[in-house]
Amino acid sequence: MITPTSDNIKLFHEPKDVLRMTVADQYSVVQIEPRWAAPLSHPGQLLGLMNSKGEEVLLLPTVESLSAVNQEVIQRELDRRYLTSTVHKIVSAKVEFGATYWTVITERGQRDFVVQSLQENAQWLGERQLVFVDIDHNRFEVPDIDKLDPQSRKFIDSIL
Amino acid sequence: MKSKSINPSETEPSSTGALIRLVADLLESGDYGQRVLEVDAESVRVLEMNGALSATIPIADIHNARNEPVVGGGRLEVTTKKGEKLALISYTHTIAARFSEAARGIEQLAKGEELLINLKPQRTHCEKCKRLLPEVDGICPACVDRGKTLLRIARFMLPYKYWAITLATLAFLTTVLNLVPPILQGRLIDEVLQRHTNYPLLYQLIGVWVGIALTSSLINITRDRIVAKLAGSIAADLRATVYRAIEFLQLTYFDKKQVGAISSRVTTDTDRVWGFLVEGVPYFLLNGLMLVGVSAFLFWTNWFLALCILAPIPVIITIAVRFWKPMTQMFYKVGQKWARFYIHLNESLNGIRVVKAFAKEDSEFHKFTKRNVELQEAGVKADSRWFTIFGAMLFFSSLGTIICWLVGGAMVVRKELTLGEFYRIHAYLALIYGPIQWFAAVNNWFSRAMAGADRIFEIIDMEKEAYRLDDGVRHDIKGEVHFEDVRFGYDKSNPVLKDINFVAKPGEMIGLVGKSGAGKSTTINLIARFYEPDSGSIKIDGLDYREIELQHLRRQIGIVLQEPFLFNGTVAENIAYGKADATMEEIVEAARAANAHNFIMMKPDGYDQMVGERGAKLSGGERQRVSIARAILHDPRILILDEATSSVDVETEKQIQEAIGRLVAGRTTFAIAHRLSTLRNADRLIVLDRGKIVEVGTHEELMEKKGVFSKLVETQSEIQEIIGFDLGQAEAAK
Ligand SMILES: Nc1ncnc2c1ncn2[C@@H]1O[C@H](COP(=O)(O)OP(=O)(O)OP(=O)(O)O)[C@@H](O)[C@H]1O
Ligand SMILES: [Mg+2]
Repeated sequence: MITPTSDNIKLFHEPKDVLRMTVADQYSVVQIEPRWAAPLSHPGQLLGLMNSKGEEVLLLPTVESLSAVNQEVIQRELDRRYLTSTVHKIVSAKVEFGATYWTVITERGQRDFVVQSLQENAQWLGERQLVFVDIDHNRFEVPDIDKLDPQSRKFIDSIL
Repeated sequence: MKSKSINPSETEPSSTGALIRLVADLLESGDYGQRVLEVDAESVRVLEMNGALSATIPIADIHNARNEPVVGGGRLEVTTKKGEKLALISYTHTIAARFSEAARGIEQLAKGEELLINLKPQRTHCEKCKRLLPEVDGICPACVDRGKTLLRIARFMLPYKYWAITLATLAFLTTVLNLVPPILQGRLIDEVLQRHTNYPLLYQLIGVWVGIALTSSLINITRDRIVAKLAGSIAADLRATVYRAIEFLQLTYFDKKQVGAISSRVTTDTDRVWGFLVEGVPYFLLNGLMLVGVSAFLFWTNWFLALCILAPIPVIITIAVRFWKPMTQMFYKVGQKWARFYIHLNESLNGIRVVKAFAKEDSEFHKFTKRNVELQEAGVKADSRWFTIFGAMLFFSSLGTIICWLVGGAMVVRKELTLGEFYRIHAYLALIYGPIQWFAAVNNWFSRAMAGADRIFEIIDMEKEAYRLDDGVRHDIKGEVHFEDVRFGYDKSNPVLKDINFVAKPGEMIGLVGKSGAGKSTTINLIARFYEPDSGSIKIDGLDYREIELQHLRRQIGIVLQEPFLFNGTVAENIAYGKADATMEEIVEAARAANAHNFIMMKPDGYDQMVGERGAKLSGGERQRVSIARAILHDPRILILDEATSSVDVETEKQIQEAIGRLVAGRTTFAIAHRLSTLRNADRLIVLDRGKIVEVGTHEELMEKKGVFSKLVETQSEIQEIIGFDLGQAEAAK
């Protein structure tokens, strides 16, 4: 069997919600699930394509190594499988009664959330990157606090 | 325009005819927004908020439905009878569990079964203040009734009420006595010093003063001794109450929290509460009385002067109120930094072997320094700020004194006030500004104590394991274990076990096999009722095991956990953990059966050998054997062995096997082992794969079937061959 590479595979949705892959037009893998290796620390790098048994079929260094059509298809699938949120701006943050209340603007829109026991649920990844986990395990990522506007940074500084 | 955050819906508009109606919090585009899933007897529909229909599938076409967990949430997937898979609607974690329930409902409808799901409405916002709740269906920290909490804490004082009353009385006496010396001093000045005569009055007044000083010292000493007694007793009571509550919490709670966070509720939070109760409440009384008493006295002496010198007080109160919030925030931040510091310190000390093994002392020190500096900076910032504010407050307090001299001095010059009266007022000033500063700080203290109390009561009020169900029956187990359509997930939206059905007959030995993560340990966790099935039931001797009194049930189950845990104590104590009155002979017998006797005898102290924290002074295999002995001595009706012999060599394992073989006679046994040869004594094997039973049968039957099990066996013997081959080569190379 021919090993899949970023050049010989073709990705498509068939039916519309199932991602398939054919390898060099020879055989096809019926259900593919893309998984980032390290979505937080190395976003955009190392994308694994897993089959329905949870085994990796192919590890892509980046999405860019794929053809434009494949890229578009995989991006659509990724959008559906990664419902995490990236914080663009912090509208308000306050500590009250031992919990911290946040209102943030993410790429998905505005959302409020509460974080309890901040030392467990505000995780630093490296110096500048921060992830908040709310009580339901929803995650709100701040990729680089230095890139936030001063007002948002002040909110973080005043609490963390 | 103020934009509104899109959050999970607070209410679900009811609709006629729909059996299930759920509002999701993500649009098709992935943006936050609301869409509705509607299910009735005919079809499953997805509607936009404007009423537009986005998707519809007839129930008759549906084969199955499930919540597909994705990163950050989930999506509802439906497979049609044609085998087509459709993703209907996406949502965040907040409501994933509800959609998982809905998926089950859709399946039930598709199969023509009765709709049996639990979709009670969720509260995400507080009804009173509309604030977002930290936990779905949880309490709103802003709206918990402070008065009620206070009363509940006060109840801990109840057993010591006479002491508390004495304390309050003494506080009152102290206040009164504090008022006396300035009066004496005033009279001394007016009637002795200024007149340059009257020795008898001098001695008389001094005599009274000495008496008062002595009395108030005695009162203070008594008061502090009572405080110490109350503090010790109430602290101990609080800790005991919280610990007792934690002991009976469900394991799901322990899965979610770090052990450090739980133990801090027993230590830090209880400290805050008793600290406030014992030291705060009496001073509250004392300072309150002092404030009222002294002000009254001042006004009585000279109302105009009193008004002047009290003028700065509103300013001080304003400062305290204005800076209180930012100040607490800063101290909160310092607390965060402390926590971060501690976590790293604990971790690197616990892992000191790994640190050394990888020669990572420098990089650990680097991390340490970073946290240390962060802590230092936050601390310095908060303290500097605090001292600045405090300094300002002090300045305004001293302004009171200056005003006293300015206005009072002028009055003395004009002979409107005697020097003695002036002196008395001056002395009372200090008695006023002290309590004022105390009150400025107490708000902070009070809030922290209340937060601590809330956290304590949260645990005390939390749903406990159904330990002492009133109508729980005591049932002497014969040993039949029956799983009926059991479904379970640690996270309710993502089942780890699905459709588990089997019957283990009394005395049967069942082997559970399957790949890592298949759900083997989870199955036995359910048997021990560490967790309960989300749906379906587990019956023991035909009786739903939830009806059996929990402690009674667990007393009849013996478990050797995958990660054996020993308590710091002797080997003998650990073996006898489940049977405190075991004789030494019984202990030795159990140890022998577990093939632990010989190694124990070779320890310098034999059965009295200390095993260290978590049993760290024993080897992995030794720990396992001690915990097997512990389970054996427990003499259970149902024996559970989760990888009980994974850390011992093959020879030892064989001996333990034989011992267990003798022991399991007449007991229902569940054994898990990766080394499949371990399970050759099993009457039947249950093969799990991704949470489902895929094969059941004896070793031979399964081998003949050439299914999942035989494949597992094959790969394992292949691996063994490879290892054997390598060894052979290594030997040959010598
Ligand atoms: N306390 C927990 N909280 C959340 N998920 C858990 C918990 N314990 C186990 N899981 C998950 O449940 C699944 C089944 O775990 P389980 O421990 O039953 O596996 P297992 O068959 O015993 O595997 P192993 O052979 O490795 O011990 C795994 O995916 C695991 O990650
Ligand atoms: Mg396990």
